[in-house]
Amino acid sequence: MKICVLVKQVPNEDAVIKIAPDGNGITEDNLTFCTNEPDTYALEEALQMKEKYTESEVVVCTLGKNSASQILKEALAKGADRAILINDDTKYNDALSAAKVIANVLSKESFDLILSGLQSDDDGHGQIGLLLAELLDMTHASLVVGTEIIDKKIRVKKELENGWFQWAEMELPASISIQSGLNKPRYASLKGIMGAKKKPIDNIERSQIEITDADNIKMENVYLPQKSKETHYLEGDTDSIVGEIIKVLKDDIKAI
Amino acid sequence: MKILIYIQSAEGKINPISLESLVAAQKIKEEKSAEIYAVTFNAEIANELSKYDVNSIININDDNLVEYSPLHYIETFNQLYKKLNPNIIIFGHTYETRDWVPRLSARLDIPFLSDCVGMQMNDSITYTRSLYQNKINVDLSISSRSAIISFQSGAYKIDSLNQGSSNVELVNVDLSSVGNKIINEAKFKDSDGAIDLSAADFIVAIGRGIAKEENIPMAKELADLIGAQLASSRPVVDSGWLNHSLQIGSSGQVVSPKLYFALGISGAIQHSVGMKGSGCIMVINKDANAPIFEIADYGIVGDIMEIIPKLSSAIKEVNG
Amino acid sequence: MDNEQREILEVDFLFVGAGPASLAGALHLKSLTKEKFPDLSIAIIEKASEVGAHSLSGAVVDPISLNELFPNLSNEDFPFEHEVKKEYMYYLTKKSKLAVPFIPKPMSHHGCYIASIGKLTRWLEQKCEEAEIDIFAGFPGSEILYNENSVIGIRTGDQGIDKNGEKKPNFEPGVDIHAKVTFFGEGTRGSLTKQLINKFNLMDGKNPQNWAIGVKELWQLPEEKLPPGYVAHTLGEPLGHSLFGGGFMYSMKNNILDIGIVVGLDYKNPHVDPHHELQLLKSHPWIKNILEGAEILAYGSKTLPEGGIYSLPKLYVDGAMLIGDSAGFLNGQRLKGIHLAMKSGMLAAEAAQIALGANDYSEEQLMNYDTLFKESWAYKELYKVRNFHQGFEKGLIYGMANAGIGLFTGGRGFGIYNKLSSEHGHIHMEKPSTSFDKYDGIDYDGKYILDKLTDVYYSATSHDEDQVAHLHVVDPSICIDKCKEEYGNPCQSFCPANVYEIVDDGEERLQINFSNCVHCKTCDIMDPYQIIDWTTPQGGDGPSWKNM
Repeated sequence: MKICVLVKQVPNEDAVIKIAPDGNGITEDNLTFCTNEPDTYALEEALQMKEKYTESEVVVCTLGKNSASQILKEALAKGADRAILINDDTKYNDALSAAKVIANVLSKESFDLILSGLQSDDDGHGQIGLLLAELLDMTHASLVVGTEIIDKKIRVKKELENGWFQWAEMELPASISIQSGLNKPRYASLKGIMGAKKKPIDNIERSQIEITDADNIKMENVYLPQKSKETHYLEGDTDSIVGEIIKVLKDDIKAI
Repeated sequence: MKILIYIQSAEGKINPISLESLVAAQKIKEEKSAEIYAVTFNAEIANELSKYDVNSIININDDNLVEYSPLHYIETFNQLYKKLNPNIIIFGHTYETRDWVPRLSARLDIPFLSDCVGMQMNDSITYTRSLYQNKINVDLSISSRSAIISFQSGAYKIDSLNQGSSNVELVNVDLSSVGNKIINEAKFKDSDGAIDLSAADFIVAIGRGIAKEENIPMAKELADLIGAQLASSRPVVDSGWLNHSLQIGSSGQVVSPKLYFALGISGAIQHSVGMKGSGCIMVINKDANAPIFEIADYGIVGDIMEIIPKLSSAIKEVNG
Repeated sequence: MDNEQREILEVDFLFVGAGPASLAGALHLKSLTKEKFPDLSIAIIEKASEVGAHSLSGAVVDPISLNELFPNLSNEDFPFEHEVKKEYMYYLTKKSKLAVPFIPKPMSHHGCYIASIGKLTRWLEQKCEEAEIDIFAGFPGSEILYNENSVIGIRTGDQGIDKNGEKKPNFEPGVDIHAKVTFFGEGTRGSLTKQLINKFNLMDGKNPQNWAIGVKELWQLPEEKLPPGYVAHTLGEPLGHSLFGGGFMYSMKNNILDIGIVVGLDYKNPHVDPHHELQLLKSHPWIKNILEGAEILAYGSKTLPEGGIYSLPKLYVDGAMLIGDSAGFLNGQRLKGIHLAMKSGMLAAEAAQIALGANDYSEEQLMNYDTLFKESWAYKELYKVRNFHQGFEKGLIYGMANAGIGLFTGGRGFGIYNKLSSEHGHIHMEKPSTSFDKYDGIDYDGKYILDKLTDVYYSATSHDEDQVAHLHVVDPSICIDKCKEEYGNPCQSFCPANVYEIVDDGEERLQINFSNCVHCKTCDIMDPYQIIDWTTPQGGDGPSWKNM
């Protein structure tokens, strides 16, 4: 079984994000980067599938700048077989444009499964997995919290609204988006790191991909969310405060 | 300008986030003289919708659309799009939306701006998305002829909905081309799901001010009374009183519920980055100088040990 | 030490810690041996998730070691910020400043470069990769491996252990790395170095090591307020005359201001809080003015070994050598350690090369390291300032006088003594005072003057919450039963990251917020009962510094 795992390099969770002086995005100088956390669950799911179905190959792929090869190396160290870097420092403002570039590269191989993290910690579109399903004519599922491979099909447990769940049976090839927390991502071992040096990373330049970006979505303004907040202080004795809170809960929030 | 808006429903009830996104659609209608076509796959819901200010309600009754089925939904909207040629297709950003609308975006080859938190009406409309886990906002403009937008829960308030009246139009679609490569089985509830605080509408959060583990049930009672999820800041988790899965902040979860009721939380930056995007922040803290008051909508300088029990009793009375 | 089945990785030479000492040492060793021993395997393990993430320094760097290591490169090729152009020394009063009119040459930074140690180590890392030296980031050294009394390697930390000490589903045991020689380059107060020193009594006959803590912040100035190459050091306020140390301000590229304070960890007053001292420094009207309109970028802290040459331990045992700050190669007077760290790594590499030729890694062979050191400019430099720190035990004026006289007497203490002795820093601590109010007036505006918890946020430090706390307090009951009375729990003050808190939730106890730890090692050094043992947390955990 040939499995592709999509990963993305994003700023560290604790990074302090600053707007760039020219207003065009954020400053990256003082940031440290890492693998998008949701993607680590997708990678772990793929590696567990590989352990179960020994004739499998796990290919890890990212659309990113040169520095993104770092997260590919980490994935290789964890057990992925080979990697693809789609070397592109375009800032995509919408997911469809990025997905088309990725689809162009992935269509050159026939993957049985594409696994992706639910969404990225930076842009958070949450769409790439499903966009690829359409572009590459695969079945799809999102918010997947469990997987089972049976012959040429995959059964997935999906999380629905309000605490509901549902299993779905889908034909392969399939593209599924993995919900965080369904497994415990493994650590790269020292041996894995050393072995990773011998595993191939395919570098594909954006210029080699013949797609013109539709450039439909423009970033007009980047700013820190400011709530023009006026704090209403509720004062008085306890009973009158309670009365005011009830009013807010009832009339404004509609919680009661 | 033509807006197509999908009204999601389940068990005969309209999903509230869909109604909130209808508010957004109505704002566009007002400012840009747009026409709103509301779409539902349920005849009863279609009738319910007739009391809102929309131009037309499109009801599609098809066996394949009674239960959620992504490929059928996509093909339905594919045909609606060709028929009506809308400029904007609007959704509430629900779990269901996440499971099919991106695919629709690729099917129609139009961009999908998901999980938007607002809009600005200028010469053209810009849509606001929140990036880096609510750390910064970006306003986006669209130059393609049409696009799909989904709005985050709480971005708009249902009580701003305009009433009106409109008619229901029955429309047929041909779904014979849709295969059954995806077969959904029956829904069920799972007992051991991890708590996803980001899905909660209301959160009651406790901080160091709760003082003792024995006081936590008092807060839990309040949470239960208003249908809220209980959560906390770091010190409570560090003391071992609550599980880390309930922690809000930079090393916990980032949430933006409709109501964040902070009890005895000081508001250190590590905590506030996890909740300052909340719709309404109500704070009770003994210390008038606690930084959390700077981001509060409603502030009460007082003793939670006195206020909460009385508040809970009062709520019980209201609820009857 | 346990029954876990562990993988064994054989290398020829292993460096613990990817700081300047190890990186320079590994590069030098590679270039010395690549002709005769082309397949030599040299590895470096580093506890941070990437090289540089746990590195923090001022810094003003003397390029001498880089010039030696890279004879074909010039100073412009190194990843420096600016060459030092204008240097100042000020004595600060509460409201104003007095310029020290003349900076003696031995204390001048002329010919040196303002640098970020993070950038420098990342640059050296790249050179290491080109030289095919294996660097394993995210792998802390957690145990020393012995064969009788020989060091045979290092065990890396286990991963995937929960806070109760139980294995998680993704448990990955640490690896035993065996090497002919292990270089201990863990930086200041190395946790394994501490064990090695104790086991082999490497400090016998030496002055106890003395440390200082450096606390610093990086600020984005709105425009150029200080010229490139600007270096200023301050004395006087806020530390006063009884605290060793001073402030520093360096201008980095892109109008970034590097501002910090160094406080000696041998103070009497248990209330001393280095973080607060930095806030007081920034409250000075002159500095407040410079910071107007600026935005904070980062915060961090680390200790530095100040004891000088007489506090260097014995540098070698069978199978191991101590390099860099782990040994204490730092010139306290010049406030420079990076060039000495690198040189020490290079000297150790030369000793290793000799040992390799003789196929003998015993301490008799590795003694060459010490011999080579004594013949080097590094020794001459450290010898000249051998009594610098000790003079300050009697206060600022004495220390300055001693240092000044030392300039004329080739470093003789007070002009008379060849060697001044010193004592452990933590023993000076006295009883808390009820009238201490130095920090009461600090105006935390949340914009320029930040409280400790806010600063911790800007240290971008994080640890997996579900692990055993890496800070081991041997007997926490001492905190409440003894320390509270005797010293007033100074851990709450000397820790720059709010790790230690005495909380009262019915009963008083010590709470360790280990997740905030910035790995400065102050607690391990300064705790008056010496019951805090700093150990490595899970690999990759800790600060995420970029350009500190």
